Amino acid sequence: MNLFEFCYGIIHWLVDLVNHLWYWLGDVLPWWFGDFFDAVGDFAASQGHLSVMTIFLEVVIVVIIALINVLNFIWIFRKFMGRMFDFYGPYYVGYGIGGWLQNLADGIKLFVKEIIVPAKADKMGYLLAPIIYIGSSILILATIPFSENFGVSTNESGTYVPAGALFALAAFAIAPFSILLAGWASNNKYTLIGGMRSAAQMMSYEIPLLMTVASVFLLAGSFGFVDIVDAQHDIWFAIPLFIGFLIFLVCLAAEVEIIPFDLPEAEAELVEGWTTEYGGMRFGLFYFTTTIRSYAGGALATALFLGGWHGPALIPDEIWFLIKAYIVYTVFQWMTWSLPRVRVDQMLGIGWKRLLPLAVINLMIAVALKSMGWF
Amino acid sequence: MAGGEEVTLDWEMFVFLFLSAATLLSAIYVIRAREIVHSVVGLATCFIAIAALYIMLSAEFVAIVQILVYVGAVVVVILFGIMLTRREIMESEKR
Repeated sequence: MNLFEFCYGIIHWLVDLVNHLWYWLGDVLPWWFGDFFDAVGDFAASQGHLSVMTIFLEVVIVVIIALINVLNFIWIFRKFMGRMFDFYGPYYVGYGIGGWLQNLADGIKLFVKEIIVPAKADKMGYLLAPIIYIGSSILILATIPFSENFGVSTNESGTYVPAGALFALAAFAIAPFSILLAGWASNNKYTLIGGMRSAAQMMSYEIPLLMTVASVFLLAGSFGFVDIVDAQHDIWFAIPLFIGFLIFLVCLAAEVEIIPFDLPEAEAELVEGWTTEYGGMRFGLFYFTTTIRSYAGGALATALFLGGWHGPALIPDEIWFLIKAYIVYTVFQWMTWSLPRVRVDQMLGIGWKRLLPLAVINLMIAVALKSMGWF
Repeated sequence: MAGGEEVTLDWEMFVFLFLSAATLLSAIYVIRAREIVHSVVGLATCFIAIAALYIMLSAEFVAIVQILVYVGAVVVVILFGIMLTRREIMESEKR
């Protein structure tokens, strides 16, 4: 049973339950009410309505799981920073469980803050940019399956929609647009510079990122997550494409703006980068979404290079997937708290002069492996 | 969905009408907007709606490449072009 069938069962049962009451109501009420009630009930029980509602339920389940993981990620981020800098990190809120509730406390604090729009800001861009950023980031999550049976992107016959991995990268690529818009619409020098830097960084690191992913697609012979993971049944792609894996991690770090590459929000130079003018829950959502992108990045690295949900059968597939994603995220945090921030010219130099030729070499290795018939 | 002259309002029809309305309205907004960055927002909306229309035609790959190339690159390049040209962004008093 996969997630689609599970949700379909729940929705079908619910609609049946409600329809019993509904038809009974239609019988009780006089004259033309009856026909109207019957029409609405038939519509609710129709195949199209059931499928759409099933997909809504799937989306809700997957997003809730992702948000719980993101809370864990922020907690790991804080605890790990504490370990690296020799302090405890969150401690008192949620005393027994290592300060895990600190995130919820911060979330409540951000919720009750006043929402301010700067007077000189461009209203439309200011309000639209967070929506695009958050929406496109959560869209990434919809494409990533945790196992063959657990993922949103299935259709009625249970097969995965083709090109899921490419779709995740396409959703990643929408973000520079919203960041640039947010930076411009806030009407502030620092946000504009931060938005410019961020967009330049994301666009230049997307090229090596997509080229390494192209080598994975080449070896797997497919754009879909399930086929890519199945192709790694014997050997993880991180081993033959070791260079590609390193390039992928570096590019991902630049895409999700964590510290060696966080110059869009370099707090010493630009106050808080392109999020300077956003306050309250809007800032909270930006912060949250950055972590969602880290989570999606870890999941992408897992699925494309680290064998996805394959592992010894002691642990369920979904848990394997999450363990690997958490390990990738912890490596990111390790990198974050050990390395200094690069300069803008260094950042672009690394992207165009180092990573791009390496990505081409990686692609050549992949072509050689494929043409020798090893994959 | 039903072919021929009979037009039924099922889900596919509804989604198609919504997407075509979004495409047309955002395309009109591109040329009607006073602020040029708002035009770019309309352009991005137009591209995304067209990508969704491609998905409805079950051409997923074209849709994904549409988003990847047009929204991810072309719109951002246009935005760069707008923002790097000389404009008084700090005074938006003229509205």
